[in-house]
Amino acid sequence: MTERDEIRGEAPDGDAAPVQRPPAEVRYAEELAALRADDRDPSPPGWELSLRAARRFIIGDVETGISRKFVGNPSLVDRALVTLATSRGLMLVGEPGTAKSLLSELIAAAVSGDSTLTVQGGAATTEDQIKYGWNYALLVAEGPSTRSLVPAPMLRGMAEGRLVRFEEITRCPLEVQDSLLSLLSERVVAIPELTGPDGMVFARQGFNVIATANTRDRGVNEMSAALKRRFNFETVFPIPDLDTELALVEAEVTTLLRRSGVEPPPDRDVLEVLVGTFRELRSGSGERSGSGAGPDRPSAVMSTAEAVSVAHAVGVRGWFLRGEPGSAADVVACLAGTAAKDSPEDLARLRRYLEQQVPHRRGPQWKALHDARHLLAD
Amino acid sequence: MSAVFLGVRHHSPACARLVERTIGELRPAQVLIEGPAEMNGRLDELLLGHELPVAVFSHYRDEERAATSWAPLCDYSPEWVALRAGRAAGAEVRFIDLPAWHPAFAERTNRYADAEARYAEATERLCRHFAVDSSDALWDRLFEVEPAEGLTERLDAYFALVRGDAEADAGDRARETYMAAWVRAAVDAAGDRPVLVVTGGFHQPALRALAGSGEPGGSGDDWERGEDGWPRVPAPPDGAMAGSFLVPYSFRQLDAFAGYQSGMPSPGYYQRVWEAGPEAAADGLLRVVVERLRARKFPVSTADLIAARSLAQGLTALRGHPRPARIDVLDGLAGALITDDLDRPLPWTGRDTMTAGAHPAVVEMVAACGGDRTGRLHPGTPAPPLVHDVAAQLAGLALDGGPEATYRLDLTDAAGLERSRTLHRLRVLGIPGHVRTAGPAHGVDPVFTERWEARSVAGREAALVEAGAYGATLAEAAAVALTERTRAGSAEADHLAGALFDAVLCGTDGLSDQLLGELATRVRELPMPGPLGEVLATALGLWRHDRVFGMARGPLLGTVIDGSTERLLWLLEGARGSSGVDLPRLRAVVAVRDAVLHAPELLSLARETAAGIAWRIAGDPEAPIDLRGAAFGLRRSLGQVPGAAGDPAEAVRTVARAGTDALGDWLAGLFALARDEVTGAVGSDDGEGAESLIDVLDGLVCALPDDEFLSGLPALRQAFAFFPPRERDRIAGRLLERRGVRGSSRSLLRTTADPLLIARARALEESVSRLLDRYELEATP
Repeated sequence: MTERDEIRGEAPDGDAAPVQRPPAEVRYAEELAALRADDRDPSPPGWELSLRAARRFIIGDVETGISRKFVGNPSLVDRALVTLATSRGLMLVGEPGTAKSLLSELIAAAVSGDSTLTVQGGAATTEDQIKYGWNYALLVAEGPSTRSLVPAPMLRGMAEGRLVRFEEITRCPLEVQDSLLSLLSERVVAIPELTGPDGMVFARQGFNVIATANTRDRGVNEMSAALKRRFNFETVFPIPDLDTELALVEAEVTTLLRRSGVEPPPDRDVLEVLVGTFRELRSGSGERSGSGAGPDRPSAVMSTAEAVSVAHAVGVRGWFLRGEPGSAADVVACLAGTAAKDSPEDLARLRRYLEQQVPHRRGPQWKALHDARHLLAD
Repeated sequence: MSAVFLGVRHHSPACARLVERTIGELRPAQVLIEGPAEMNGRLDELLLGHELPVAVFSHYRDEERAATSWAPLCDYSPEWVALRAGRAAGAEVRFIDLPAWHPAFAERTNRYADAEARYAEATERLCRHFAVDSSDALWDRLFEVEPAEGLTERLDAYFALVRGDAEADAGDRARETYMAAWVRAAVDAAGDRPVLVVTGGFHQPALRALAGSGEPGGSGDDWERGEDGWPRVPAPPDGAMAGSFLVPYSFRQLDAFAGYQSGMPSPGYYQRVWEAGPEAAADGLLRVVVERLRARKFPVSTADLIAARSLAQGLTALRGHPRPARIDVLDGLAGALITDDLDRPLPWTGRDTMTAGAHPAVVEMVAACGGDRTGRLHPGTPAPPLVHDVAAQLAGLALDGGPEATYRLDLTDAAGLERSRTLHRLRVLGIPGHVRTAGPAHGVDPVFTERWEARSVAGREAALVEAGAYGATLAEAAAVALTERTRAGSAEADHLAGALFDAVLCGTDGLSDQLLGELATRVRELPMPGPLGEVLATALGLWRHDRVFGMARGPLLGTVIDGSTERLLWLLEGARGSSGVDLPRLRAVVAVRDAVLHAPELLSLARETAAGIAWRIAGDPEAPIDLRGAAFGLRRSLGQVPGAAGDPAEAVRTVARAGTDALGDWLAGLFALARDEVTGAVGSDDGEGAESLIDVLDGLVCALPDDEFLSGLPALRQAFAFFPPRERDRIAGRLLERRGVRGSSRSLLRTTADPLLIARARALEESVSRLLDRYELEATP
């Protein structure tokens, strides 16, 4: 999904070289403006759009020409937006590549008209990067003042009444995560260095936090219960139905292949095999109960985005090696390299899947995939 | 006067209310309802005053097929309301659909399942348009929470769109033609007074067209009318058994989350909607879920409750619902109560059935929506056929001996077996009256007699009436009950083995495709190779050797054997990890070997495939070492000619480099599988390889430093424990021979003390002498 956004990205002005990936509010500036102009419903205090308009912006609306930007359950978007209008933060959790960050960007763009107030979580994230830091030259010269204060996204979001995105929150040390506690419940940041009214920054209407967390990293289990309580959790799942995912992959890959100078469009059967394989590996071999899923799931990320990149490689391979669209054999070869990355475990899983599960699937394309299993390099 | 057509969704409170209102306003002379026409003579039975839900249960059996189906009715079923209110308004009420045994219903077990679900294209388009997750959410949004004004028009528009250009299948077309014939007859009969037709909305557009087009009196494909002027009810073919009866039903059976082929989910919730309206239902749901969760010690704080309620209200507003819908409340609760990542999407966002391992809050929410109401029939209702069947069977088999009777049954005797099966079927159905006090506990114990004691028969009649919903005959009902048990149970081997053995005990005549299919599916879900191997071994044993239960070479065990062999190979190739010997897992490999060798005709996988998998496991450095040895043995015993890399001697050398423990574990795996191939071959054609394996081992072990030998000893001993004494004796003899020693090999095997104790003594001695050495205290002789 992110690829598509990159492609759409256009230069905000004609002078400089185009920005690689402008933020959502720039990419979809026209749609946002149209929605704002038409918005008849009441907006929550501090929001740029009403809940319904924000929903239309994300899910799309054919009648008013708003594109569909998030492929997933609409009810997820409903719950996310309503959560943000209450006093709890929103926590999006899920496997990598399920478009969590895209969703949070879209929501921030719709609600605050600005998706750039972002804290990127990581092992080295400190409180300075969340609340505020100091311009030390000024601090030494003038002492603590609003001039020497360098506000970080949270402080700005509170002061300006906007949504703040906290990406990969679980990758931050627990102490740093917990610095959000008072901020989310009291909705105020104290700056003890400053005196008078400047020493307390109260959150304005419209401030809230969207955090994302990756279930593959350190999970949300380690988060403190106190912090968990301040968030509503939404699990973002891979695209639920095959046709939707297939259509998305096809659209993305066709564009990518054209940019790579590959003439024939991707073969639908081959894409079906590829996406089907990804879906089965992702779910732990299509089992009905969750119990058997654990050990069978590959450690590599079997996301839609990854499927797009494999399909791209398949097309490139087929065209530049043989002058034809990629085949099921190319899928096997590319899966070995791209999806299974460097893990021999994943390679073994893939082989086991090709050997034992694929023969049960009907259709010539699946048979071709099974026949090509020897291409899986050791 | 022409007919008024009301297209409804089965089990929709909004539609039920519409039916009630329409009957009140229209005062029709005739009310026609989609329902089994053969019940028309017995509609009074339906109105005796039952506690709903109840169902019209239909059964059919001829030489080729057997079928059972249900037409469930609850308080808020539009059909039920049409029946009740139509009678109350003085109208003539008739069911107008084909009987359930008609081929038009083949493959359908629920008459009131959503027809549109079979033609999903239009509903999917609508879901996209309204940006909702599922057709249930769509339905709530369009009809259940909307005010009553304009409901008829909206329903007409909706069903016209759903039906659209969809080409109905032959079954639906036959039913529609038949129902249209009734409509025409009713219009004729009613004269100037109105006729109301209540059918599933999917049929309504077609019915309207068909009923309008056909000339009175009947065209070519019209149904023949009887002397009374109404279409004839088709009679079942000669020699077939068919009938329809009232049985009690339950919300659990109605709930979409607990099965397939159902209509609207969450009957408990919609019962509240029907009784008290959507607002009260929403409040009630919130309260019940919180109570249930707190009873399970799941923490729900007041803050959570406030959050859930405000979320639900926000969602109701955002989605433009004038009143809260089911998913608003559920979504609100989910948002506020779940503070984890979920494994599966929330069940109400799709049409998924609940799966094991769902989040506890989700489980309680779904359960609260489903409700636990069970229907009860009025005592005056004619008993379902099962009751008579059971009475006849018990009398015929002399099993009705009164409260003190005990029965000793010899299972090897045909009559005894038949009696045992009957009692087991009653047990499976949970009918009180008999208890087994002795008998075989699983498929492999050599017990061929059973002892049953008669017990109190209190509650028996009620239980039988209830079980009447499962089937018309005892065998059929037991099979359906077993199928349901298998489907609803957890994916655990014990549970599955229990169900399987019960199926064996109940005998073959009740076996249904559903039961076989369900067993095969569940077997493919078992997560642990050990227990699954036991299931396979038992099933295979019974399939090959059973002379008692009549199960040898039968389809029941065949399905399970195929499914579990495939699943086992899948699990084994994925096994990772721990060192040491996992005996149950090794036994599972043995079971796989036996299945491939002795029941190849049952398996959908070829012997070469199995050998290929074994080969990959044997060569996989990540696989547990004992399993690699077993896979090596499996490959050999499957007779795939080993190449240079398949030589056990060579393989042993490779493994030995990884340490003595690994060697012992690997050998344990090998010997568990292919003992014969290793030693039985001495002197035979393959002797070369076999000889060298023992020689190689001897060489390797002799070359071990003492401490390594001692540490690896337990594992090695465990490996050789797979040999029975005679073979061990022969190996010992061979070792003596190699050393040129004459003597009894038996005395080598019979030591005065536990060999491990001796080993430990040696270790102690060794460390003492090392200590002495270090301090130069070695005593001089």
